[in-house]
Amino acid sequence: MEINPFEYLMDPHRRIYWLFLLSSLMIAFVFLKFHPKQQRIVLSKKLWLHPSSLLDYSYFIFSVFFKIMIILPVIISTKEIALFVNIVLLNQYGFVRIEALSYTQVMALFTLILFILSDFTRYWLHRLLHFVPWLWAFHKVHHSAKVLNPLTFYRVHPIEFLLFGFRYSLSIGFVTGVFVFLFGSLVNSYDILGVNLFVFIFSLLGSNLRHSHIRLGFGNVIELFLISPLQHQIHHSKNHINTNFGGFLSVWDYLFGTLIFSKNVTNIKFGLEKTQMKNFQSLKDLLFFPFIVIYKQIKK
Amino acid sequence: MRYLVVIILLVSIVVNAVSEKFFNQVIIGNIVLAIKNVELLIDDINQANSTRIKIQFGNLVSSWKKVETTYLLGDLNEDYLDIPRYIDIFHGNNEEIRPQLDLIINSNDELFNAMYKYSHKTINALEYVLFTKDLSHQRVKNMALIIAKSIKSYLLEILDGYNIYQSKFLESEQYASAILLNTLIAGTYKLKEWRVGDVAGLSKKFKNKPNNYRAEYATSGNSVNAIKAILETQAQVINSLDYQDFGDISRQFKAGKEINQAISALNDSIVNANNMSEFDFINDKGKRLYRSTNRLMKAYYISLMNKLGFVSKVLDADGD
Repeated sequence: MEINPFEYLMDPHRRIYWLFLLSSLMIAFVFLKFHPKQQRIVLSKKLWLHPSSLLDYSYFIFSVFFKIMIILPVIISTKEIALFVNIVLLNQYGFVRIEALSYTQVMALFTLILFILSDFTRYWLHRLLHFVPWLWAFHKVHHSAKVLNPLTFYRVHPIEFLLFGFRYSLSIGFVTGVFVFLFGSLVNSYDILGVNLFVFIFSLLGSNLRHSHIRLGFGNVIELFLISPLQHQIHHSKNHINTNFGGFLSVWDYLFGTLIFSKNVTNIKFGLEKTQMKNFQSLKDLLFFPFIVIYKQIKK
Repeated sequence: MRYLVVIILLVSIVVNAVSEKFFNQVIIGNIVLAIKNVELLIDDINQANSTRIKIQFGNLVSSWKKVETTYLLGDLNEDYLDIPRYIDIFHGNNEEIRPQLDLIINSNDELFNAMYKYSHKTINALEYVLFTKDLSHQRVKNMALIIAKSIKSYLLEILDGYNIYQSKFLESEQYASAILLNTLIAGTYKLKEWRVGDVAGLSKKFKNKPNNYRAEYATSGNSVNAIKAILETQAQVINSLDYQDFGDISRQFKAGKEINQAISALNDSIVNANNMSEFDFINDKGKRLYRSTNRLMKAYYISLMNKLGFVSKVLDADGD
């Protein structure tokens, strides 16, 4: 398999697919027109060449390689899980086929449930990454970014990539297994360029601004349902790190008491406490420091 | 990597397999054959030729199973959803029709009124009448004719339906492929679990309780014949020499090895069925057929999962 980081720009399944980057850029352009004071920060060399940004860039190149090796085996298991769930249901309940829904209705329902369940499990895994000490040791890698840029999205420890891969396999595999059991091959999903319709639409709505210094909020009403870029930036703030865990939807944060509206926060400082930041200065630190922390935790 | 190739392949297979030639040769061809067989059976009943009747009933069973194996009409128009149940009540109806048919035979009621239930005019009822009753009695003969003519009328209705909805079937390849695959999967499950597993004592319901008389056509001895017809029809869909089928397209996409696993399971099932007699369900031959049809069912499910490309696509690890 060819490994080429630039292929990420051409793959709609990637956060930095060119169209998603372009849409974010256009939104940022309009936003900065109305908020000229922010132009100085967003366009400054200091931001894009900050040591934290440089580390993001190099870590991204590295992540392309390890994802090929680590995530690929997980890809296969998604289908295996769907097959397993389907066979278990067949053995338990015999052959069932719901014929009350049309092909279009099954597709619409499946597309929606995939999106909602995926976002729900994403919220909970993200939350666990913050509250379970050994998981937090790995997730700190992501929060150690002092400044944000779209590639900060990839500043994630391989163990965390693996966990999210399992989350994907389990949730998508489970839903697919249940749907195939109930509807057989009528199961299909609406997509754009092979990406779930909802994921594609929400990715177009400034997903790359989540890791940026464009302080774009959606207002309280919309932020009850959708996470705005500014809400995610608040999540990266030292003082509000245990809020706004949502991926696309903020309803989970609302329901489980972790939501903060962007209008309620004025002071945002990215990264971890100073004493911790020194442990995440290099590629080697990002990869190995979490293991040192966990080793020390076990030793205690 | 192998799996990724299969994903691409099977999407293409499913999208391209449904052609007009396939529709005419398999779906229309089989229903025309079934109509012809029921007409011949009606002639034989009229002539009270018991030897011919028994052979011709076997032919009708075989051709009906072929129609049932690729029955898609209910998906094209829900008005046609129940027609197979008017022809065949195997596992579709819990009532015991034999005592009811005995009552009808022994009564003096007008047959048209006495045979008021759909189940009285099914192929299962016909089997009971033809193989356990004396056709020299006019009332029994008339019953057999009513049943056979009822089956013929439903088969004609199916043929008309296919002619009406052929364009609907062909206009959306994606939908056509989905319902075709669904039919194959449903048929394979029923074959494995009901037609073989229940008889061999391998299904959950009848675990370790084998009984040859639980077979679909135990009375006439056509159960294996029916199974062969089902498998042969599946071969028409995935492994035919006459037109482009699932297997051919898979080879075009250089993933013949993977698709051959499904064909292999089907071929094994055909061989196992060909080696069986009506009384072999409860021995090792029955077990072998159960295992190979189980492999076939799983192969179809794998095809279905592969069709869902997103199942195998991992989005960016979305930690945020």
